[in-house]
Order: sequence, then C-alpha cells, then structure tokens
Amino acid sequence: MEALARLRYRLWPDHLLGEILSKRWTETAIPVIVLIAVAIALGRAIDGFFSIVSLADQARQAGEIGFVVLGMALVVIVGGIDLSVGSMFALCDFCALFCLDILNLPVAAVFVITLLFGATLGAINGFLIGYLRLRAFITTLITLIIYRSAYDLLIQDYSNRIAASFPDFPSWNFVGGGELFGVPSVALVYIVIAVFGHVFLTRLRPGWHITAIGGSRRSAYNSGIAVRRTIALCYVASGALTALGAVFFAARLGTVGGDVGVGLEVTVLTATVLGGISLGGGKGSVAKALAGTLIVLLVTNGLTTLSVRGGFNRMALASILLVAAIIDIRWLKNRTRIISKVYVSPTYHYLPPPPSTEIGGGGPFEQNDKLRDVTLIGLGRIEAPEDVILDRHDNLYAGSRHGDIMRFLAPDYEKMEVYAHIGGQPLGMAFDRQDNLYCCIGGMGLYRITPDRKVEKATDETNRSIYSVNDDSRLRLADDLDIAPDGRIFFSEATVRYEMHEWPVDGLEARGNGRIVCYDPNRNTTRTVLRGLKFPNGVCVASDGQSILFAETFGASINRYWFDGPRTGEVEVVIDNLPGYPDNINLASDGNYWLALVGMRSPVIDLAWRMAGFRRRMAKRLPLDEWLFPNINTGCVVKFNEKGEVLESFWDLAGANHPMITSMREHRGYLYLGGISNNRIGRYKLENADPNFVQYDKRWGRA
Amino acid sequence: MIAALKTFADRVLGRGDAAITVPSFDGALKPNQILEGADIVANLGAGEDLATDGRCLYVADGPVVKRLDGGALLDVRRFDRPVTALCVTAGGGLAVALDGREVRVFATAAGDDAGLAFTGPSLNAVNALSAAPDGTILVADGSSDQPYSRWAFDLMERNGSGRLLAIDPANRSVRVLASGLCYAFGAGAAGDEAFVSESWRHRVVAVSRNGFVRPVLDNLPAYPSRLSPAPDSGWWLTAFVARTQLVEFVLREPAFRRRMMAEIDPRFWIVPRLRSGDSFREPMQGAHLKTMGVIKPWAPPRSYGLVIRMSASGAPLYSLHSRVDGENHGVVAAVEAGDSLYVLAKGPGRLLRLPLDRIRQELGA
Repeated sequence: MEALARLRYRLWPDHLLGEILSKRWTETAIPVIVLIAVAIALGRAIDGFFSIVSLADQARQAGEIGFVVLGMALVVIVGGIDLSVGSMFALCDFCALFCLDILNLPVAAVFVITLLFGATLGAINGFLIGYLRLRAFITTLITLIIYRSAYDLLIQDYSNRIAASFPDFPSWNFVGGGELFGVPSVALVYIVIAVFGHVFLTRLRPGWHITAIGGSRRSAYNSGIAVRRTIALCYVASGALTALGAVFFAARLGTVGGDVGVGLEVTVLTATVLGGISLGGGKGSVAKALAGTLIVLLVTNGLTTLSVRGGFNRMALASILLVAAIIDIRWLKNRTRIISKVYVSPTYHYLPPPPSTEIGGGGPFEQNDKLRDVTLIGLGRIEAPEDVILDRHDNLYAGSRHGDIMRFLAPDYEKMEVYAHIGGQPLGMAFDRQDNLYCCIGGMGLYRITPDRKVEKATDETNRSIYSVNDDSRLRLADDLDIAPDGRIFFSEATVRYEMHEWPVDGLEARGNGRIVCYDPNRNTTRTVLRGLKFPNGVCVASDGQSILFAETFGASINRYWFDGPRTGEVEVVIDNLPGYPDNINLASDGNYWLALVGMRSPVIDLAWRMAGFRRRMAKRLPLDEWLFPNINTGCVVKFNEKGEVLESFWDLAGANHPMITSMREHRGYLYLGGISNNRIGRYKLENADPNFVQYDKRWGRA
Repeated sequence: MIAALKTFADRVLGRGDAAITVPSFDGALKPNQILEGADIVANLGAGEDLATDGRCLYVADGPVVKRLDGGALLDVRRFDRPVTALCVTAGGGLAVALDGREVRVFATAAGDDAGLAFTGPSLNAVNALSAAPDGTILVADGSSDQPYSRWAFDLMERNGSGRLLAIDPANRSVRVLASGLCYAFGAGAAGDEAFVSESWRHRVVAVSRNGFVRPVLDNLPAYPSRLSPAPDSGWWLTAFVARTQLVEFVLREPAFRRRMMAEIDPRFWIVPRLRSGDSFREPMQGAHLKTMGVIKPWAPPRSYGLVIRMSASGAPLYSLHSRVDGENHGVVAAVEAGDSLYVLAKGPGRLLRLPLDRIRQELGA
C-alpha cells in the first residue's frame, strides 16, 4: 500500500495544478477550450462547416464584428459599457456608403471620414461619461436611441439613391471581398489591429492605465492617472473601431437596410463576456475578445445553417450571455479560494525511525542539560536573531525581525545598536575577505553591508528554471550562506513555492521545493546549482575548500556538494536520519562542525509525512494554528566531524532559558546561540576550545 | 439510503457529523486563571477521585482511600487494587470501585470489614460513583470495550459502550439505567433523574427512570468528567481534557488513526492528555510555537484544567480554568467541603484547594 502511495506521489506532480491555476493565462484558457468544443461540435453536426469558402466567409464576419468587440472590450476593461455600438455601426455604414455613392469621394477618403465620424460618435459618449461622469449604461442607452433615430431618418431620404448606385472600384471591392494569400482583407487588418491591441494593453503605458482604472478608479486617480481623459478616449476608440467594422460591412454588402446593426450590442456583449472579459472592469485581453468573438460567430452561424429560426437563435445567444455572466461573477469571486485550496499539495515523505535521544539510551544524541546555564545577551531587547556572528573585535551581530542587523558591543554585550537597517528579516550571515558582512534576507535576497555600514543588494534573482511553471527567478527565502575561497557565495533558498512566514506550509508539503544558489561577486552573476531539496538550510564551506555542507531541514539530513576540484558537481549524503531538523552549520575551532537542530522529530509527524492525503485534508480543514507542526520548540547543538560522525550534543532539557536554536557560532572559547523565535542570544562557555578562534579570520588566513 | 447520501455529502462538505468545529470558551466558560492560582494541598502519586460527606474530604490515591485531616492525609482504607472511583453513601459509609471492575460498599468510612462486593453485570471501567437520596448508588461504567486506564484508546476507537447503573445495597441488586453512552464519566442523582457526563459527546445528559436520555448541557468545548453536587443547589462539573480541532479531525481520519494506534507509543498520539509538554516527541501544533520565550495560553490545549459550576437545571454559571500555559491540568474531580472547593488535578497529581470566598472575589461576583 505504502509503496503504491510513494509511487503515486513520485510520478504525479500534484503541485502543478495549483501553480497552473495561479497563472493569469488560465483565465483565457477557459474560453479557448469552449471555443474548441463548439468548433468540434458544429464541425461534426454540419457538413462543410469548415470548408474553405465557409471559413473565408466566417473570417469576414468575424473581422467585422471583431473590431466592434475590441472596442467594447476596451470600454468594458476601463469599467464601462457601450450599448450604442449597434446604432453607431449602422450610422457609420450609412456614412461610408453616403460618401462613396452620393458624394463620390475616393475610397481612401471614405475610410478616413468614416473613421473620424465613428470617433466623433464615440467622443459624444466619452464626453458624457468621462468628463460629465454620467452612468455608462444610461448614457449609451440614450445614444443608442438617438443614433438609431438619426439613422432611420437618414435612410428615409437616401436609401433609394444608395441602393440604386453600384460603385465599381477595384479598391472598394478588395475591401469588401478581396483576399491576400487566401486570407480575407478584413481578417488581415483585424490581425494587425489585434496584435497592436495586445501590445498596447499589455506593454504600453496607456494600456496599463486603462486596466488600472477598470480595477480601481479611485486608486488610479490617486496614483496620478488622467482618469477622465482615459475613459473618454476609450469610448472614442470604441467608436473608431466600430466605424472600421462598418466600413468593411459596407464594402461587403453595400446596403443601408433598416436592420443593420440591430441587436449587435447583444452579440458583441456576449462575445466580450464569453471571452472572459469581466463586466466589473480591470480584466481582459485581446485574446479573450478574439475567443469570445469566434465562439459567438460559430454558434450563430451554426444555428443559422441548422435552420434554426431567428428568434431561437437570438434566445440561444442571450442564454449563453446569461451563463457566461454568471460564470464570470462566480469565478472572479472564488478564483483565489480555489487556488488556495489546490495550491498546497503534500507529497509522500519517508524518514526511518530516528536514533535514540532518551536519557540512558546511549548514543551521541542522548539528552543532557549542558545548555541549561547559558548566559543570555539582549534578553527582551532583540527579537528573532536567526543567526549570530562576531567580528575580530568580538562585537556580536544578529538579525532582528524589525529588519535590522543589531550589534552588541564587546566586551560585555550590554550596549546594543542598530548596525544596519535593511527592511527584511536577516537570516544567515558571513564575512568575506574584505570584511563585508553578507546576509541572507528573507523575502529580499542576498545583501551586503560594507565595513562603513552601507547596505548593498548583492542579488535577488537567479536564472529561471526551464521546467518550472511558477516563475522561480526571484529569491523568496534565501536563508543561509557561506563564502568559497574564490569569493563565490553559496546560499540556500529554503523554498520557491512559499514566502518566509509560510514555512510551515512547506513543511506540510515536504516536497523538495528548495535549492542552492551561487552568487559570483566578481562577475555579478547568480546561478542555481542544486534543485529539489527539502528545505535546504545551513550552508558551510568544508575544510577542503572545494565543497559545501548543507542541511536539508525537513529531510533531516546533511549533504555535501562539490563546487570545485575533481568531484565538481557531485552531491553526497554526509549524515541522514537525524533525530531532529538540522539548521545552520558552522566551523568549530577543532576542525569539526557545529550543527543546530532547530527542532526534534516526533513520531506523529513522521507518520503524517507518509500520509499525504491526511495532510492535504488537514491543510484544507484546519486553521494554521491548529495544524500539526514539526516540533521546533526544543532543539540542541550537535558537533560532527568530516566523516559525518556525530561526536556530542548539547541540550537544554527544560527549554526555559534558551527555547529554540537555529544557529550557533564559536568565537574565542564561547558558543553563541541564535533562535528565530527567541528574544535573546545565548552564550555558552566551551571546554577545551581554542580561546583565539575567530571563524572568518581563520578562513581568510588572518589568524 | 438518504441517510447514507447525507453522511457522504457531509463528509465531502465537512458539515454535520463531519464538521470539526469546536465551540469556543465563551460566556460562562470564559477563561480565567483561577484554577491555576489554587493552593496545593498535597501532591499525590496516583490521585483518582474525591468524595465528601460535607465536612470531611476523602481522597482515592492509588489503592488507598485517605481522609484529609487538617493539613495531612490519613489512610482510611487500603485495597489490593487501585481505586478508580469513590463516594460517601447516604448513611455515611463509603463506596469504592476497584480497578473499574468491582464496586464495594462499606457501612462505615473506616474499618477492616470486606463490605458488599458487586461485579456484575460485567463491570469494566467504573470511573464514578454517586450516592442517591433513596439509598442506591449510581455507577458510571465508562466503556465496555476498554479498561479504565485506556480511556484514550476508547476515544480513538470511537466506542460508545458506556453505561449508567444503579446499585441497591439494601437488596443487593444492580440495574442498568442507560447503555450505549459515549464514555460515561461522572454521575449524580437529580430528583427523579440521574445526570451523567457523556465525555466523547461533550455533554451532560439526564437519564430518567425509564431510560430516556435528555441532554442537559450540550456542545461543551471540553470532555466532561465527574459531577458532584454543590451544597447550595447545582453542581460542580469537571472536564478532564479539552477539545481541539486537530483531535476532532483525527477522529474523522480512520486510516491515520489506525496506523497511529498501531505504530506509535500512546504517549505521543494526537489525543487529549491529562498533562503535556513533557517530551518533544508529543505532537506540536501551530500555535504551540514558543515565540519570544512564551507559549500562548490560547494555543490548542493538549491538556487543560477546567471546573464548571452548573445550576441545578444544568446551565453553566461560571468556570475555573488552568490554561495551556498552566500546570493544573487534567481535572477529574471537584467537591465542595466546608468553605472550600477541593479539586483533583490528575495531570500534575495535585490536590488543590480554592476557598469559595476567593472564587467569588476573583470572579467579581
């Protein structure tokens, strides 16, 4: 059974569903899938539905309506609605034919005049809605009636004369029915406009302004966007695009019948909403508008071909609009909830039974009370010192959750000062050869504090993984580092799926979400060197100068990675199956290594890690405060040697004096202890330790 | 069929019986630290139950029944098995339950006589005795499936095999008043009815003479244990452990529960405990994380101390707490003797005393 579970979780990437759903483009995926389904269904129901002739005809209609839909999309994205498109379409159709047939203007002039005319009609809407701030719905409803009445009056006078003339210009015919490489002219123009529209909306400043206004008009105003003008211009654009569609319509059919553009607003609105452009504003794209247009067109044409009566046809369209509107509202409201339900995806994680820690149980992990009498530094004054480090003048540095690196001054460590303000939680720290203090900052990346206290960003991004759905180039939780002899900095990033304060969720997943990253200050490059690690933490350059030791916290193991020498690139397990969760690793004065166990394993969580479904349901049904956690209230310090043998351990049984240990640093005969949820730093006198040991002086050969 | 569908829908949607919500400590159960501040009268090795005749306090400690005399505990009776329940009979005698399997009734509190012994019908986990005014003794038999000391197994197995019985020493008869209770723990006669704590259903029920069961105090955020009458009407109800959403969730995860029971030492289960924090191998929940050296008192309680003062009709009036950051947890008995309330906190093995005046003062009543 368990082997089956292991196989299932190894082979099936549960975490991808949530990552894919959190992508914005999945919103477009739904209308595209609907489109494909509709196309397949109609293709099977109707013979010749996808013949070349039929397709070309579809494309012409699609182009004409498509322009109008683009205009509508723009208006809807900015937070409005334009019901007058049908009437504008009719008026522009009239305008084009009037210019051509009665005024006998050249085709190019017809184009320009009609577009300007459409833009003017739109500008009336835009002025009323944008500047006078009338309601879009009422305003465009009124202009719908006015434009339609104007059209009706005009065609009474001119329809016969227009109907009687048969313009025969090659250019006009090309507009109406011409093709280039088999693609109808209108479709070509549509493609050009659509590509520009996409770039406009996603890459250009005005496009961003439009989206911003639709998302929150007030915020947009507050951030200095010219809200009124932008809104007005959207209606102008809507009018111009409608006019463009109308010109092609006029060229194709050449009529000014009474039913031109009647009900067009419903068709266009259906296409807009079906494509997933939210009526609430602020969300939409050209791809969505296109998908919506094609769906509507296929459905109406399909139903017409199947000889469904006109009334039913329109009823079907209205029903689709209703369904799409409902889905639009529900989806928008629940999208984040659905994502948060499926994003957390625990996997199978097996750890063998841990070695004994019982008193009287023997072994190197046997509990003792050596740390009971640590003296405390900065009790109640420092908060969350994850890592501690000392310079050669014995000053003590530690991070705080207020985003500062604090310095306690030697020799008594009573005086505390802000050494540098960074703004994020400082985690692991190390000195380089020039006495720069490098520090991993949760949520920010790798930072450097120069000896004259200047804060500089070293790096906050690495190369994006090719096969990762989530964009993992930003550093989310860089947590410990060390510096190789050539100056390269190796640091661990605990997880790429969660933020720092969400570490328990990563523990719940127990997937290898972390990585080791290398920053090269000489070339200012950052590359990921190892992936798929279970909460990597604690990085320490080994004594050979060619490899790093790093801990995998939730993997309860220590590994070695060679970055230099004959074994470059290899990874080897140094210690596995620790009884607790390893955190920082640092060099000891005797050449061995110190390791902090931030917490201890409990049998229940070991079992839960083997039952992924249990944890998934727990994550869904319990609040975070009630979750089963890895126990990080009790920890210890362990010393191990190059071969991975654990030599001794240091415990505080009661855990009252120094509850949590995330790091330790040996300095001149003392061991300094940090803990990320502590309000103190511990100091423990070591027996038989080198009284002159200063870690980074020894590393850089100054001692 | 409809019931099965409903159960299924509940499981999918987390409603009804599948809901894992736990009521909050609010209203009369609003937390305080009164119990945590109680005086320690004695540290007991294996304190199990308390009883009183109104003046004297009797304590069951392992196989011995002791009497509190001034500040000292004097042995009254000694048995060959641990005493699991104790009460003073109407005539001033004693009744004790031995290892949950036998009830003995003595005419006098002290002495060497063997008393009347009752073992049937198949007593298994007798955990509470209470004298009724009519001379009978109410017996709460927690479970027919698990012995008294393995109550955690009974909870995790979701058993419902507790019984309420009545012993009549006059004609040496035993009668079953109610069965199928989800862990009967604590009983007391209330007029024609008998109140029983039904721990696993988080409620106190009243059982009438004809066996009709009616909830009196429902939806508790804790698992109630023994009841004792307060002299001026009403009851002292104790709760030995408190509920957490994690335990409620585990109770609805049969596969996990089965493996946990099979593979893990019961000390480290996800299950309520009488005391906690002794080992890092106990399960830790999110809010248990010590921050800045402090564990929050509102964290989910693996162990808890609670005494509830109930009115005669079963309404909660006020309560005494020892919260998650405290020690006086696992309260199994509270009796009022003289001007004090005596509380047995089984977690740390303490006999506690709270003067009634102090309780009134601290509650501001």
